[in-house]
Amino acid sequence: MKPKFLVVLIKELRETLRDKRTLGLLALFTFMYPLMLGFLLNKTIDRATKPERDGIEVAVIGVAKAPTLMAQLKQRNVTIVDTGPLDEAGIGELLRSKKYPVVLRLSDKFTENYAAMRPARVELWFDSADENYTQRREVEDVLQAYGANVASARLLAHGVSPATLAPIQVQRFDTGTNASRSAGFIGSILGILFLPAFICGMSTAVDITAGERERRSMEVLMAQPARAWELVAGKWLTAGVLAIAGITLELALAHAILSWMPLEEIGMSWALTWADLVLVCVASIPLCLFAAGLQVALAMNAKSFKEAQSVLSIAMLVPLVPGVVISMMELKTADWMYMVPMLSNQTLLREMAKGGEVGLWPVAMTFLSSALAAALAVGFASWRMKSERYVLSV
Amino acid sequence: MIEVEDVRKQFGEVQALGGVSFTARDGQITALLGPNGAGKTTLLRTLIGLLKRDHGAISIDGIDPEKDPLAVRRNIGFLTDQFGLYERLSTREYLAYFGELNGMGGAALNSRIDEVSELLAMDDILERRAKGFSQGQRIKVALARTLLHRPRHLLLDEPSRGLDVMATRALRKALATLREDGCCVIMATHVMQEVTHLCDDVIVIAKGHTVAQGSPQELCRRTGIASLEDAFVSLVGTEEGIAA
Repeated sequence: MKPKFLVVLIKELRETLRDKRTLGLLALFTFMYPLMLGFLLNKTIDRATKPERDGIEVAVIGVAKAPTLMAQLKQRNVTIVDTGPLDEAGIGELLRSKKYPVVLRLSDKFTENYAAMRPARVELWFDSADENYTQRREVEDVLQAYGANVASARLLAHGVSPATLAPIQVQRFDTGTNASRSAGFIGSILGILFLPAFICGMSTAVDITAGERERRSMEVLMAQPARAWELVAGKWLTAGVLAIAGITLELALAHAILSWMPLEEIGMSWALTWADLVLVCVASIPLCLFAAGLQVALAMNAKSFKEAQSVLSIAMLVPLVPGVVISMMELKTADWMYMVPMLSNQTLLREMAKGGEVGLWPVAMTFLSSALAAALAVGFASWRMKSERYVLSV
Repeated sequence: MIEVEDVRKQFGEVQALGGVSFTARDGQITALLGPNGAGKTTLLRTLIGLLKRDHGAISIDGIDPEKDPLAVRRNIGFLTDQFGLYERLSTREYLAYFGELNGMGGAALNSRIDEVSELLAMDDILERRAKGFSQGQRIKVALARTLLHRPRHLLLDEPSRGLDVMATRALRKALATLREDGCCVIMATHVMQEVTHLCDDVIVIAKGHTVAQGSPQELCRRTGIASLEDAFVSLVGTEEGIAA
């Protein structure tokens, strides 16, 4: 004779696997996450590795009016492209095409004013919505330096030291590295990687508890010679199995993508081996079971299918909170972190990704903390199913 | 044999059962009559141990459902007022699920499914999924589920509602077979014709109390009214009949 919870588990799984919509959502989350992650990282790496100095291309209107300025720009590695005369709309068009970070337009009277030592106007057109502000800054710097040079030369000609024009001298040092910039990014990625534990089993957890009650088949089920805990356990494991399948697939895919990408370029490391990954997956099994237990308990407690759905979507955000708080308060990894479900998994993966030896204790803690929480949730759900209030509501 | 003695149940302020007593014998079909809200569902749920009584005694073949609900349920087929079908399971899978929950399995379960299917004349829907079943097909499947594990007791909540003439006849035949086998059948119903045709014994409850028990003829004699329907109304009290 099969154990009752196994009978329930097999039936619920069979039913769920026949539901195309649930399966589609499951596949979507499992594949979408790692792919999105890979795409984002790829873009970051691309941007980080693109040499910023070389090949700034600037469109200039009226090149012939300022040969020395053009020469100076060329010297600073800026390529000049003569576009010929353009009106404002044309310039806008050119900027929108993202080919040039800036467009320079020399005013008609530039040569005349320059020769007469009146301020000769250079228009700098740019699109502030564009993210190439470093290149724009580069061009502005060259223009300023050029202006300062000419001014110095003119002052010298009048016998005044150019130094009087510069009472203070500002020198800029940027200590920000790509590594420190991407540190926050890594934190948020790791937080999100475990979210499918809560997503994959969710719709099924609602369907087989609140949904079954709403379809009025729960009473029939409860009238069978099976204990409440056996029914709850079967349903809980159904949601749990889906979550485990989802997260294992997702982690494997994420691992494949992350190991293949040149992460060192942006100061990230992914030192996980496949053996480590197996360990992480095993340690996240209780997390999935906890998520499933929590969802089953909450969905059973809800008054209706709709309420169950909204309660669960809110509950899905709760496990993200510790991770966010930790990264906001910039706390160092501590032992207690392994005792909080979800946070423990994130911490474990982060430490492993750094390539350090983590040891068995944190893995065990990660495993046990979630397992305990899962047991509590299932215990509560079983107690709830036995209560008269629940019987009356089916 | 189901014996109920002075069972009471209160939900907060509401007295759902205020003293129900009756005996349903083996080899008989006992009708449970009562207006809507009389406490029939509460009574049936108490009988299978889903609800705990506040007072009184229940014995189902000598077992108290409060003390050993699983033993009682193994021996009871319960047809609720909802059928509880699963849209994505075929009839055979549905029956197999409940068979396994009742401790059956293997070839024995499969042959029993075929047997029940033949009894209820539902071979045509045995391999189909429940989605799109008609009311009659649904109740047949639910009834098959109730009979599957050969329970000695059957609690049926309005088993004939929504059935066409053919299906009603099939149901009557099935119930008669069960009676011959010595099962104890309790059937809550609103169809008086069915009671006169089928039932050996009638329990009338109103406002959570047993008002009368006896054969249809006895009830008519006691009230001095020829038709069972009129006798029922007079037993329940017209006031409540209108309120329901």
